[in-house]
Amino acid sequence: MLAVKVSTVLGSKTAALNVKLAQALSSGSKGSVINNQELKFDADSATYFLDSFPENFDVGKYTFVFEILLDESAQEKLYITEAQTKIPIAATGAISIENAEIAVLDGDVGSVESQKKLDLTKDGAVSLSANHLQKLRLSYQLNTPLGHVFKPHQAFLKLKHESQVEHIFLVKTSGKKSELVLDFLGLVEKLYYLSGKYEIQLTIGDASMENSLLSNIGHIELDLPERPEKAAQPPVQPTDPYSRYGPKAEISHIFRVPEKLPAKQLSLVFLGLIVLPFIAFLIGLTRLGVNIKSFPSSVGAATSALLFHGGIGAVLNIKALSLLGVFLSFVGHSTLSHLASASNKLKSA
Amino acid sequence: MMNLSRSVALISLFLLPLLSFSFSVDNPTDRRVLVLLDDLSLKSSHSIFFSTLKSRGFDLDFKLAEDSKLALQRYGQYLYDGLIIFAPSTERFGGSLDSKSIADFVDSGRDLILSADTSASDLIRGIALECGVDFDEDSSAMVIDHSSFSVSDVDGDHTLIAADDLVKSHAILGKTKIEAPVLFRGVAHSLNPTNNLVLKVLSASPSAYSANPSSKLSSPPQLTGSAISLVSVMQARNNARVVISGSLQLFSDKLFRSGVQKAGSPNKYEKSGNEQFATELSKWVFHERGHLKAGSLVHHRVGETDEPAIYRIKDDLEFSVEILEWSGKSWEPYVADDVQVQFYMMSPYVLKTLSTDKKGLFHTSFKVPDVYGVFQFKVEYEKLGYTTLSLSKQIPVRPYRHNEYERFIPTAYPYYGACFTTMAGFFVFSFVYLYHK
Repeated sequence: MLAVKVSTVLGSKTAALNVKLAQALSSGSKGSVINNQELKFDADSATYFLDSFPENFDVGKYTFVFEILLDESAQEKLYITEAQTKIPIAATGAISIENAEIAVLDGDVGSVESQKKLDLTKDGAVSLSANHLQKLRLSYQLNTPLGHVFKPHQAFLKLKHESQVEHIFLVKTSGKKSELVLDFLGLVEKLYYLSGKYEIQLTIGDASMENSLLSNIGHIELDLPERPEKAAQPPVQPTDPYSRYGPKAEISHIFRVPEKLPAKQLSLVFLGLIVLPFIAFLIGLTRLGVNIKSFPSSVGAATSALLFHGGIGAVLNIKALSLLGVFLSFVGHSTLSHLASASNKLKSA
Repeated sequence: MMNLSRSVALISLFLLPLLSFSFSVDNPTDRRVLVLLDDLSLKSSHSIFFSTLKSRGFDLDFKLAEDSKLALQRYGQYLYDGLIIFAPSTERFGGSLDSKSIADFVDSGRDLILSADTSASDLIRGIALECGVDFDEDSSAMVIDHSSFSVSDVDGDHTLIAADDLVKSHAILGKTKIEAPVLFRGVAHSLNPTNNLVLKVLSASPSAYSANPSSKLSSPPQLTGSAISLVSVMQARNNARVVISGSLQLFSDKLFRSGVQKAGSPNKYEKSGNEQFATELSKWVFHERGHLKAGSLVHHRVGETDEPAIYRIKDDLEFSVEILEWSGKSWEPYVADDVQVQFYMMSPYVLKTLSTDKKGLFHTSFKVPDVYGVFQFKVEYEKLGYTTLSLSKQIPVRPYRHNEYERFIPTAYPYYGACFTTMAGFFVFSFVYLYHK
């Protein structure tokens, strides 16, 4: 239903008027669909309305031309701003989509290699494969409620590669149906020679279409030749902002492992082995019957002897070497000379 | 001569109060904002947006974009902390403003809101390009979306979009979720993919495209789908924030008050999400939210309190840093679980996540690696919507001193034993040899 409100420049109600829809010019065709249709006045809502449209009023963009005439019964001085008011109107309706199918065609001959019917109202799971010598054909028919061919403003086929590189193609409508043929031989360079899985997405929309759709048809495996050196690189894709800002993986330093040393027990075993000869020496000495009988008994000699051995022990401790060395030589000389004289006495006696 | 110096003194006296009314390190929210309009009627058609800014304490200065007395700086000091350019059709700014002076303004750490509309002049496009945002080259193109348009679209050509693909960030859009879709009518832009500093705040749906609604398409449009950004933001490396919107009508009273129902969706909202979206975004861009400040890095050995001049390898150390968040009025402790510290020399040897005591102090402890050299404690914190923190402190690491090694090595016990038994043997022998009879 079409409802029109007429008011004065300041917005208040007007007197009785005669509102007429002079023309409804369609954007596509010439000529008007509606001619000089008078609108009825509804006193309750103070609007002029038209409740029925002619049968050939189809979906699409129109420009409605309204004419306002003063009723003959009007007494006051009233002026109308414009004789004809043009308003763009979009008449919307549900567009029917029929015979939607996608096919892979073979090379020049055009014979169909694989063909699938599509239901564009929902996402599909079509799986196709093609190489660069083949073609992809998508076709469907769009009809208005009155059965005419409909040309939508937006009819895109989008091929999206795994690496997020996208390509968009327009589906052109001619005659009775809409069709798009992608000849991969000519598109190889445009596709940046990227082989792999491409997702197929079809978007059809228009201002006058009430059921605009976006359908993920499925995917196609494309086998394209190798990229030659001079071909263009695919464009850089943006990184996901959420992953860009996340925390980094933790790093903990691996400390240098010290060289593997033998077990402590092993060292102790060898220590024991080393000490063994010393013990054997002591045992051997006692076996041999060594004694320290000729230890000097006189006090002076005994003291020097003790000091002499103490000095040797101290030297073995490697402390205060130089002083000890001097001290030791004196004491040692006295002890040893005493011993020498004692043994001389023995020899002479 | 006297007059000149007196007048200079007088002028600088007048300037002093101006200087105190700008943002500072302790109070990072902007104060004085210059609003450039290409039509003074925008003051009334966008009055709700401006009045919410004024109610939050901003000092707005409205000027026509072509006003010949426009200046951002005087005597080397900036007069404003923020700039709002709602002048999509201006070809040339008046006064001393041009796209270079605006770029310098942002370089100095100041913030900018830039909006295009159904038409965007080359000047506006140039400023946006400096920030990494590419508007659609076709000047008659608008964003059209046949699946995501607003049912209240009067023109009927599906250019009034009801967009709800918002970025997930509490810092940028606030903690309260924006339930209703945001109404948008304007031009599309895309972001330079190599630019790390720009971000899409409001994206278009996959069925959107940028084209002239009144003419048929002869070739596929450049911008389609979610690659179209409707509103983007940029945070520069000096933490200056820029908001770039493709629609000036998004900020208008009409769309603020309008109800919204997305085509194909049964949900009908009394009020669109525009007012909440614009308010939260303005809070973010003028540093009322998401602005962090860090104290100095503190480190010391476990058990000590003073910072040593040098560490030894394999020391146990404790590290802490204080981070505060500006709430719009005061500094509050920052709470997060993803602040990390690196112990870095050419590459990070240790990277640890800091634990927080919820009062703004982030701390951790670890063992110094067994590598000698001059290291740095580095905290480089980047989070979506927050200012970037980049702190570092240098500290050398030395190897063991000669007396810090273990005193006796068990493996050498046989050698010790050999040495001592030799000494003992000689001692005994000296007795035996001399006194044996």
